[in-house]
Amino acid sequence: MNANAFDLGEGAPIITLRGIAKSYWRETLEIPVLQGIDLEIPSGAFVALMGPSGSGKTTLLNLVAGIDRPTGGTLEVCGHELNDLDDDELAAWRNAHVGFIFQNYNLVPVLTAFENVELPLLLTGLGRRARRERVAEALDLVNLTDKQWNYPRQLSGGQEQRVAIARAIVTDPDLLVADEPTGALDAKNAEEVLGLMSRLNTEMGKTIVMVTHDPKAAHQARHQIHLEKGVLDRAVEVNR
Amino acid sequence: MRWLALIWKSLLRSRRRTLLIVGSLVLSVFTVAVLQSLLTTLDSITDNPNSGSRLAVRHKSGITQMLPRSYETYLRQQPEVETVCALQWFGGYYQDPRNFFANFASDETTIFQTFREEFGLSSITEAQIKEYLRDGAGCIVGESLALKNGWKVGDVVPLTGTIFPINPRLTIRLIFKSSRPSDENVMHFHYKVLEEGVPRMKGLTGAFWVRVHRPEDIPRLIDRVDRHYANSAYETLTETESAFNLAFVKMLGNISAIIQGITIAVVLAILIVTANTMGTAIRERGSEIAVFRAMGFSASRVLSLLLAEGVLLVGLGAALGIFLAQAAAGAVRSALGAVMPFFADFEITSATALLCLAGALVVGLLSTFIPAYAATRRPITEGLRSVG
Repeated sequence: MNANAFDLGEGAPIITLRGIAKSYWRETLEIPVLQGIDLEIPSGAFVALMGPSGSGKTTLLNLVAGIDRPTGGTLEVCGHELNDLDDDELAAWRNAHVGFIFQNYNLVPVLTAFENVELPLLLTGLGRRARRERVAEALDLVNLTDKQWNYPRQLSGGQEQRVAIARAIVTDPDLLVADEPTGALDAKNAEEVLGLMSRLNTEMGKTIVMVTHDPKAAHQARHQIHLEKGVLDRAVEVNR
Repeated sequence: MRWLALIWKSLLRSRRRTLLIVGSLVLSVFTVAVLQSLLTTLDSITDNPNSGSRLAVRHKSGITQMLPRSYETYLRQQPEVETVCALQWFGGYYQDPRNFFANFASDETTIFQTFREEFGLSSITEAQIKEYLRDGAGCIVGESLALKNGWKVGDVVPLTGTIFPINPRLTIRLIFKSSRPSDENVMHFHYKVLEEGVPRMKGLTGAFWVRVHRPEDIPRLIDRVDRHYANSAYETLTETESAFNLAFVKMLGNISAIIQGITIAVVLAILIVTANTMGTAIRERGSEIAVFRAMGFSASRVLSLLLAEGVLLVGLGAALGIFLAQAAAGAVRSALGAVMPFFADFEITSATALLCLAGALVVGLLSTFIPAYAATRRPITEGLRSVG
């Protein structure tokens, strides 16, 4: 089945993958992880990448996010051919266009919630005042203004993930990538985080690509793309 | 938040580890600064800028053997010689053995000319010198020594002999000021006090200090004097003042080699300790580094941040170490300056401080660079996988 045939809705594609392949090498042994991926994801989509362990969903997410490079094929994300960018250009591109949400939040333990959210802005050239305003807005959006001076160890898991979301959106990226964002959360906090992501998608128009094993989490997405042994298997539109 | 705040907060991630590494750096830099300064101080003994025109004539068998004072006549007759001064270490103390300082029986008639730079002759009047020459029980002392003991001109200073069995009571007739603190921690008194008090010293002296008209005459004069007294009952060893002082220092062994050896060992030890600590600290932050890079921090920027942490850490340790070494140098000057005059010049010079700081920064950069470089070259995806 050709993934191009997947109907992920209308709109200009923000992510275009053509013949993407990715292999890892263990000494002389080539281990293919992704093969011949063709995919277009329109701007404003909320896509859940699903599949069994080893199906290549996290690898696909990493490629889309520009933190890994394909061994074959081309990918254009947010208007940039990522293959053409060197490491430093790719880093600058990520800062401008991609927000990351990780399973384990990955906040810097020695920084307060405010400082954690401010981190990506240090690279933007914004002045101190402008940075503070942006951080305040982001923390307000995730409803954590009252916890802004708390350190990660003083926050619950759900609050930590909300800080991580604030950090992901503070640069106003076009694309949010989330790898198992609710994997370390209990049901209540998971629901809260998913609700927040849903709002970012519907109200702020952020394109979200999320890897998840959790059917409940996947249900928040508007489309589910299933991978099987490194190839796209099927796409499902979520009916709510 | 500013970059420096980010670096500083990262340093305080493990306070105990940071404290221990700073502590070890403080100790190392302190040790190196003190030892190097000691070396500089010892070097200055043999590198006295005023000594270029002076010779020491002593017994060939060693500085504890005496020479006849009659040699003075021959020495004076040499055309190259300007003045000759008999000088004998007295080794007395004032009131308490801990109040030990350099004191000499010296030829009062030539001491001022022979050591004119040390006495700062421009600040001494003829009348003061005459007053000293007039009083056979008089003495002259340096200003530092006088200040330390609260002495003033006219005070009587009882000295207790440790080498010679006399306890002279000396009246201060002159207090001189010199350009080097070590030259001011000295007392001189009339040679006849020693000769009259100690019969066995009559007509003898430990050394003659000879001032020549021109430094270039020194080699010729050395050769002639030693040849003249060869095979006599009192053979001489004539040498430049620097060589004489060096012989004095060499009694302590090859200090320079020992100090340099310790310095190298300390630097290597701290390099290994710092490298190990920084390596562990950076490895523990593998996932955090990956997150930074995912957010858009380039590998070179993350490397710079990590290097800045290492440099700040060692810079802090080095600055504290130098500060403590300065304090210790002050304490050494107070405690030992009077006993061993060259310690009155003991200080952590800015050159030594800069050397220590530069050395510490190199250690910081070297010990941080390898683990930091490896960490920033690791694929981001690999770093993120180490999260768990």
